[in-house]
Amino acid sequence: MGRIFVVDLEGRTYRCKFCKTHLALADELVSRSFHCRRGKAYLFNSAVNITYGPHEERMMLSGMHTVADIFCCCCGQIVGWKYEAAHEKSQKYKEGKFVLERGRIMDGVDSEFYIDTRPTMIMSDAEDV
Amino acid sequence: MSQEVVGSKGIVERDEFVRILGEALYSLGYKRTGDCLEEESGIQSHSFVVKLFIQQIIDGEWDESLKSLRVISLTYANISALPFLLILEQKFFRLLEEGNFGEALKTLRDDITPRCITVYEDRIRDLSVLLLRQSSVHQSRLKSGQDLLEELRDVLPPVVILRKNGLVHLVEQALLFQRDSCRLHNSTNLSLFTDHHCGKEQIPSVTIQTLYGHRDQIWLLQFSHKGEYLASSSKDCQVIVWEVDDFGSVSMKYRLAGHVRPVSCISWSPNDDQLLTCGDEEVIRRWDIATGECLQIFATPNFRMVSCAWGPDGNSIFFGARYGKLDHVHMLDLQGNELKRWRTSRNSELGITDKALITILRNSEITLIEWDSDSHMHISFKRPIVSFALSEDRKFLLVSLSNQQIFLWSPTKGVLATYRGHKRSRFVVRSCFGGLGQAFIASGSEDTKVYIWHRDSGELLLKLSGHRGVVNCVSWNPVNPHMLASGSDDCTIRIWGLLNQ
Repeated sequence: MGRIFVVDLEGRTYRCKFCKTHLALADELVSRSFHCRRGKAYLFNSAVNITYGPHEERMMLSGMHTVADIFCCCCGQIVGWKYEAAHEKSQKYKEGKFVLERGRIMDGVDSEFYIDTRPTMIMSDAEDV
Repeated sequence: MSQEVVGSKGIVERDEFVRILGEALYSLGYKRTGDCLEEESGIQSHSFVVKLFIQQIIDGEWDESLKSLRVISLTYANISALPFLLILEQKFFRLLEEGNFGEALKTLRDDITPRCITVYEDRIRDLSVLLLRQSSVHQSRLKSGQDLLEELRDVLPPVVILRKNGLVHLVEQALLFQRDSCRLHNSTNLSLFTDHHCGKEQIPSVTIQTLYGHRDQIWLLQFSHKGEYLASSSKDCQVIVWEVDDFGSVSMKYRLAGHVRPVSCISWSPNDDQLLTCGDEEVIRRWDIATGECLQIFATPNFRMVSCAWGPDGNSIFFGARYGKLDHVHMLDLQGNELKRWRTSRNSELGITDKALITILRNSEITLIEWDSDSHMHISFKRPIVSFALSEDRKFLLVSLSNQQIFLWSPTKGVLATYRGHKRSRFVVRSCFGGLGQAFIASGSEDTKVYIWHRDSGELLLKLSGHRGVVNCVSWNPVNPHMLASGSDDCTIRIWGLLNQ
């Protein structure tokens, strides 16, 4: 299906656990305190090599948000979501930022493997700590 | 003389029109018809005395021509001394050549000086010097009758002697105006029978031929410089060289096998006799088009090749090589000796202009490096660059960004136009210049269509449907403005042409 266009990042990067495609720079990490149904998640300012699902209204513990699921452009696995719009003022800081699920990314430096024993689900929620 | 006008706009005077018609007939050699026209219309292109004058100049009868010129100057007020001077100079030079210094002195003193001294003092001084030295005249100063006539035509008022081929000159001006006003100009025939206007029907829009031959997706297409061959590269790791015959029909010439990775870069040599192909992180092969044989393989242990391009003189080769996380661009001669090397960040696109190499640094920066001086220029874009293409004259770049925008960029003028509308979100989709004067831009798209824009205005002109998968690449025949090729995930190449071809 065509030659997939992949961007390579320089520096310490977080990659897709399944195909090792670069997804985000460690420098762009904003917060480690996010959660999804499958466990921890990280908030990043920017992400690369992803494709988007449709915009959806999703009720999260922190309120109603407009989000789009994001997928690794190489292997197609869902890797997290992007905040398109926040309906509450206090959550506005999230707009335009990306959440990558800890269980689906690997750190560029230490190549530990996170084995996910929970059943996979298509939808994911977020809850701030 | 009647002041009638010809034509509906009221700007063409009848007399002038008939006079230049007459001149046109005489220039074409139709003397009898020219005479007939003068008789029937009662309008002479040139009056009797002017005709006589012209003949006398051609025959070299200087004294007689001077007499005629004096008569002419009685009728037309604004004749300067210059035409007299030109004729007298010729007479003077001939006399010097013959060694007739007495007559020459007489001509200078009695004829030239009184008439011309006020304005042309320097020239008269030149002539005196020649006379004093009794030197021979340089060959270039002696003019034939025809040459002198042309000079006189320039200095005499145009109403006295009509300019040569005046009518043809006006017709040419009109045709050029029509051609320059033609916005979508894409055909070479300018006819006198209708006003020239190219519409979208002059842009390739229907599939003329579908090429089957590859077993997998088509990733790259490139016509040769002279438009006789088309090279295609596929995920099946093969490159096919197709031949274009005189009728525009395309057929397979060679199947170039040998790469074990898909070829991600193709470059034709400047005279189309060789082809460079680069496997994706593999090796570079140089092929001979006459025989289809692989002449040379460029490979180094531990290095993986990522891009290749011919130098503009055909004697050097540039390629990008990857070693671990480092990328370098190398310049080699055909014997394999390394001439130069530059460090770059990770990239896999390479372009060559007349004196610089072009590559992408840090995902979103176009970099030009002059290979002689090493001076470099960087242009940052807001998004990662997916691919770029060079115009045939190597002066313009088409930069495709990951956000579905294509920019037209020149090193001297910056961004000139933007092209939008096509779809690109996952794959490498390529674009190209094409058409007459490279006045159009074409691109592939993830919605299976080929997009064509007007280069100067950025207007989207056509969307060509037909392919059944993502259109990855396009190439427009540099020599045939009506032939466009596109390659797709559906494993076929489509050749697009005109509606009524």
